[in-house]
Amino acid sequence: MANQSGNAYALTALFPILHGVPTKCPEGMEGQTHTACVRHLLQDVLRVSEDSPMARVPDTYLSRFCILLDVPYQGAPTVLEHLKSNYLVFEVNFHGTLEPWLAGMWKAIEPEVRSLLQNCYGFDKVTDCASFIDYVKKCQIETTFFFEGSTDEPVAVQLKNLYLKQEFSHFVFANQGKSAAELKAAFEEFVARTQPDNLEAPTWRPGAYQLETATVGRKVMGAGTQ
Amino acid sequence: MISELDLEDIQGNIVKAYGRYGFPLARFVFYRVEDAEKGRLFVQRVTPLVTTSAPWSKKLKVDIPAVAINIAFTYEGLKSLDVPTDTLHGFPDEFTMGMKARRAILGDTGPNHYKHWDSIWNHPDDPTAQSVHILIGINGKSDKALDACYQEICGILEQTGGVTQLKGHRGPNGAEDLEFQPANALAGGTEHFGYADGISSPYFEGCGEDPRYIVGGGKPTGQDPASPKGWEPLAAGEFVFGHPDEAGGFPEAPGPPLFSRNGTYLVYRKLHENVGSFNALIEEEGKKFGSKEWFAAKLSGRWRNGAPLVSFPTEEGANRFAAELGMLKGKVHNKTATEAETQRYRELQLKLTAFDYTNDNDGARCPFGSHTRRNNPRSALEFGVKGAFKTPGALSNRRRILRRGLPYGKVEDATRNDGDHGIVMMILNVDLSRQFEFVQEQWINYGNDFKLANDRDPLVGNHGSDENGRGAGRMVIEGDTNKPPYFCSGIPTLVETRGGDYFFVPSMTCLRMIARGLVDPT
Repeated sequence: MANQSGNAYALTALFPILHGVPTKCPEGMEGQTHTACVRHLLQDVLRVSEDSPMARVPDTYLSRFCILLDVPYQGAPTVLEHLKSNYLVFEVNFHGTLEPWLAGMWKAIEPEVRSLLQNCYGFDKVTDCASFIDYVKKCQIETTFFFEGSTDEPVAVQLKNLYLKQEFSHFVFANQGKSAAELKAAFEEFVARTQPDNLEAPTWRPGAYQLETATVGRKVMGAGTQ
Repeated sequence: MISELDLEDIQGNIVKAYGRYGFPLARFVFYRVEDAEKGRLFVQRVTPLVTTSAPWSKKLKVDIPAVAINIAFTYEGLKSLDVPTDTLHGFPDEFTMGMKARRAILGDTGPNHYKHWDSIWNHPDDPTAQSVHILIGINGKSDKALDACYQEICGILEQTGGVTQLKGHRGPNGAEDLEFQPANALAGGTEHFGYADGISSPYFEGCGEDPRYIVGGGKPTGQDPASPKGWEPLAAGEFVFGHPDEAGGFPEAPGPPLFSRNGTYLVYRKLHENVGSFNALIEEEGKKFGSKEWFAAKLSGRWRNGAPLVSFPTEEGANRFAAELGMLKGKVHNKTATEAETQRYRELQLKLTAFDYTNDNDGARCPFGSHTRRNNPRSALEFGVKGAFKTPGALSNRRRILRRGLPYGKVEDATRNDGDHGIVMMILNVDLSRQFEFVQEQWINYGNDFKLANDRDPLVGNHGSDENGRGAGRMVIEGDTNKPPYFCSGIPTLVETRGGDYFFVPSMTCLRMIARGLVDPT
């Protein structure tokens, strides 16, 4: 089935960006178009990478925003075509089904969603979570291509798994060769500290993309970055 | 398929591992061109001395010379000789940038950073700039022959002028300013950690070398690795421009076609070996692991005497093999071997390379993370799934590199890291990015292709250090039914970069074109 693969859902939505210059725009962007404002928000305001607002949306595997300016021209003899507007492309893979996940997104980052989508056609009709869900569904296109680097588990389980895997490898290196009694004691300490059944904490931080910043309190020195 | 390459047009170091021909000594001399016209005259005078790949054999009545000479140029070097801009623009980014600028990819960070390199590599006006223009390598059988050849080239330089010979190599006893980089094979053909070196080398179509070397040197066919059916020559275009490569196309090269045809790239790297750290590591970890020599073998994938772990899982078996091989080698070289002994010698010699990892899919004999399994995985990237790809070497055939290196310096105190000793590593391939840099970045300084997360090559990886200054390298030594896996941590960086750059090795035709200013890309 398109959009759904196991417990993973892939959403692609194309939001048409308004023509012209907004009456209210971000600071420093006076006189710039809606498209420029969207790009400014994506590049400079809604912090990218680890501090992305999308990291706060529950059960999100991966998400990307980009701006589609036009369709590429392949050269003669193909016909030169244009889109009627620019589009804000939103691609996301998440665990679960569409409506509850969108509701979670609205709840977690409504101000950020508003700041972006107020530059898009039809968003002025959105007044609450239900109308936001309707709006996204109107802009949705079928998705058959999924992000590979993820299992079928909820994100919290995956993050805990990664955390435990990393911690367990440290445990193995630290405790190799110990007697059975010492090993048992060390393992009990490990279980008490890492709390394998507790998905809340300790675990990896959602949105982290570097080992060094995934967990607080364990610093791994690299080989130097000069 | 190419039945023959124009070996007379190809420089000798591309097909010949000079060590195999009994050249234990070398000098690597570097130059900067100050005047293009005089520089071209210098190249013109040196060109007739350059050794080609034409076979040396008694059958063809071609004697092995006393010295072998090869020449190569950096990007700035070609520019300084007025190679036309259009041709220069045909070079890929990695070559035009040079080794220093590629440091993030190569792992030349921390102790490997160029600020720790021999001074010759750092331009006096701008340490980030490419300092060296020309490399001349002289391999010789004796110091006398080597010196005579070196003096001849010095004489040419004196006559032509316009070119400066660059000093600034570190040497023994704290020397900082040697006028060339000396290198010399160690007794027993080992490097400074004690491993037998230079055992296997890629075999490619038309190279003119002994076809016996196809076994273990070619690409795997999926058949018995101990027989010639298990291997085919690699495509010549992986190592020499102007010929089809493993993808069936021609490697990208600067124009005109005559400029690049029969040429290749050479990677020169001076690699210091931290002998004290290595000895301490195998001593301490060896005790915990069960045996120092076994542990050393697990790091490498071969016993220090050269016997591959896959074929010789016990120290006793490996020693017996090495002793017999050594004894027969002596007899064959002294021409006292009987026919049966010669035959036996050939059989044993084959065992050094005639293997793959088909029967070691759990890494119980040779760890996935060991140096040789990483750098030349053969068919191991199929991970035991026969027919996983169209060909068993699908993920490795395009990552092969020719290695032409020699140790340098002498270890004065085997408990210390300082001093000036290591390996002058030279690597040849047509695509620096796809071949050398890929191996360095993905197979040496990363572990994902071997399902080893971010573990690095234990012997040559840049391991970094933890907050206490302890080496941060890790390695899993897989266990078997009788032995649990061993988890080695705290591995320090054992090999450090002390200099190097990327060079273009022109064909003899191209050398003459450069020398005469005849390169015409229009």
